[in-house]
Amino acid sequence: MDQTNRLKEQQRGIRLTVAGTLLFVSAMVGLVAVAEPLYKLFCQVTGYNGTPRIAEGQSSPGGVAETMTVRFDANVNREIAWKFKPAVNQVDVRIGEEMLAFYEATNTSSEPLVGTATFNVMPERVAPYFNKIQCFCFTEQVLKPGESVQMPVTFFIDPDMLKDQYARDIKTVTLSYTFFLNQDQSKAKALSATQANYSN
Amino acid sequence: MADTHAHAHHDHGDHGEHAHHPTGWRRWLYSTNHKDIGTLYLVLAIIASFVGVGFSMMMRLELAEPGLQFIHDQHFYNVILTAHGLIMVFFVVMPALIGGFGNWFIPLMIGCPDMAFPRMNNISFWLTAAGLILVALSTVVGGGAGTGWTVYPPLSNHTFHPGMSVDFAILSLHLAGAGSILGAINFITTIVNMRAPGMTFHRMPLFIWAMFITAFLLLLALPVLAGALTMLLTDRNFHTAFFEPSGGGDPIFWQHLFWFFGHPEVYIMIIPAFGIISQVVSTFSKKPVFGYLGMAYAMASIGVVGFVVWAHHMFTVGFNVETRAYFIIATMVIAVPTGIKIFSWLATMWGGSIEFKTPMLYAFGFIFLFVVGGVTGVTLSNAPVDMAFHDTYFVIAHFHYVLSIAAMFAIFTGMYYWLPKMCGKMYNEKLGQWQFWITFVGVNILFFPQHFLGMAGMPRRIADYPDAFAGWNMVSSSGAVVSLVGALLFFYILWDTLRNGAKAPANPWGIGATTLEWTVDSPAPFHTHEILPEIKAEPAGHH
Repeated sequence: MDQTNRLKEQQRGIRLTVAGTLLFVSAMVGLVAVAEPLYKLFCQVTGYNGTPRIAEGQSSPGGVAETMTVRFDANVNREIAWKFKPAVNQVDVRIGEEMLAFYEATNTSSEPLVGTATFNVMPERVAPYFNKIQCFCFTEQVLKPGESVQMPVTFFIDPDMLKDQYARDIKTVTLSYTFFLNQDQSKAKALSATQANYSN
Repeated sequence: MADTHAHAHHDHGDHGEHAHHPTGWRRWLYSTNHKDIGTLYLVLAIIASFVGVGFSMMMRLELAEPGLQFIHDQHFYNVILTAHGLIMVFFVVMPALIGGFGNWFIPLMIGCPDMAFPRMNNISFWLTAAGLILVALSTVVGGGAGTGWTVYPPLSNHTFHPGMSVDFAILSLHLAGAGSILGAINFITTIVNMRAPGMTFHRMPLFIWAMFITAFLLLLALPVLAGALTMLLTDRNFHTAFFEPSGGGDPIFWQHLFWFFGHPEVYIMIIPAFGIISQVVSTFSKKPVFGYLGMAYAMASIGVVGFVVWAHHMFTVGFNVETRAYFIIATMVIAVPTGIKIFSWLATMWGGSIEFKTPMLYAFGFIFLFVVGGVTGVTLSNAPVDMAFHDTYFVIAHFHYVLSIAAMFAIFTGMYYWLPKMCGKMYNEKLGQWQFWITFVGVNILFFPQHFLGMAGMPRRIADYPDAFAGWNMVSSSGAVVSLVGALLFFYILWDTLRNGAKAPANPWGIGATTLEWTVDSPAPFHTHEILPEIKAEPAGHH
């Protein structure tokens, strides 16, 4: 009888332990399932990886005396046949002041292409204070063959940066974009279709 | 009613006659016996080691001299080094230390008849075996996977590896991972619930502690790898963009996920080794382990801290200085429990009546190699140093000292120590000691010069190098030849033991061997501990 009791007890223990281990596994599976949105959120909140703030629809707080140099950098992934460069290489801005800058993109291929730009800000320290009010990178861009466009970006640098002891001494910040071929080329296809219709 | 009962009884009788001693291929394919499954894992590790070591010999052959002599295609070189890494990690070290010794000796050492879920144990093994076949296929289909074992995108995405090779490697790791998770659940359940009466947690042998902690690491780390691999798989095949910047993803995100698994993985490979070394040092010093509880909790704390240091593998991705400072400090903290282990082994030997049998020589070898690799580990944990050494042969030398040769030495330790129990025959002691010295000298000639090459700036994963690195590369390749002789001699010793070995007594190691596996016959009978042993005295390994 003692033996049977012991075995019963053991069976109960085994079931509990298995439940516990499965809990561990499902917790880790759950964690990795939400890892991607969490990682993005983390980057946006902390400016990690040079992720600037998106301040769509907000207005700038107004300039203060200090100025900063903002440099513009443009890159194109080899899969997309575009030329892409900033209209000016750098500007001096008053901190807190709203600024409008332009990039120029040209489709050098013979077909319409949809591109998407990724962006970051270096040094990373400035990223949480770099606010983009409006940017071409927020939407995908469609360029017809040979077409050139001016792409605007509106931004301001949050004066709170001057209170951050780790960021306040930085005088130059680089805003960088890289254009990639969008995996979804349906808009380009639609464009070629309409053009084909017109030429008919 | 009476009829049914008689029938049931008859059935049971049959069961005893046949199913308990299945023969031929059924014994192995359908095996639910922990000893047979342990043997299967060890055989799998041996087969995989032929392939994994073969690839490393091809690399050392090519690297013996500057210029391209044998391998003219750099992608093929990448394929070889990828397969070498994946096979050695997932199909040699893990199956041998965890599946092999774990299955064999957890039930024997805690005094229970078998694992909690014998049939799940079977599927764990066969999933791992299927994984090995898939990883082998990944080298030949679609041009081969040349991604390195870290499978970083963008190199591993469909642009740079358009064939099916990387998909095969991913699915291989999925299978091996699933097998390991099931195995870990089995280990934990067995250890928690099926210890012999009187064997409290604080009386378990340190090898059991090691397997227990390893099982938890597997349970927590492998789901993350599985998730990351699934994202990579969908990125490659279903146009998701987890790691694709063109769709808003981030390749660095892969590195975080991979190393969140990858760093615990290195402890998954080395903590079982700690367990084996503790048993052997105690046995051959004829003393209980010094600081038993400290040893157990040192392993536990290595396991815990191992989960919060992953980014030291990615110091060059551009972290800010606070992030680097944190990961430097957290990484260095691990040296403390590791130091506790090293000093406790030395203190166990201190004043002991040490017998230099082959397993003890290997335990010494392990401690030496692990200390060398540990010291270079502390060197590399400094982000500024790592910036210079990143992706050089210094890193290769570091992780081969700790993971490959120290872990291999632990496998050899376990093989020599437990071979009499597993096959019932004694190996040739003289040959065993020769094998140790040849291997010890060989691996040090092989890997020590790689520190110099790395400090001089030789990059890893490249088949060619400037003439300035020629000298030490030739030395390193010569060491590879010596190590190969050692490895082949081991297989000869194994064959010789099975064929000609003298009959081993139940306990061939004398009064130092106090754990329960030495109380059963050699070879351990098909069924052991059917009558549960009772533990009344001090913790196992204590006198």
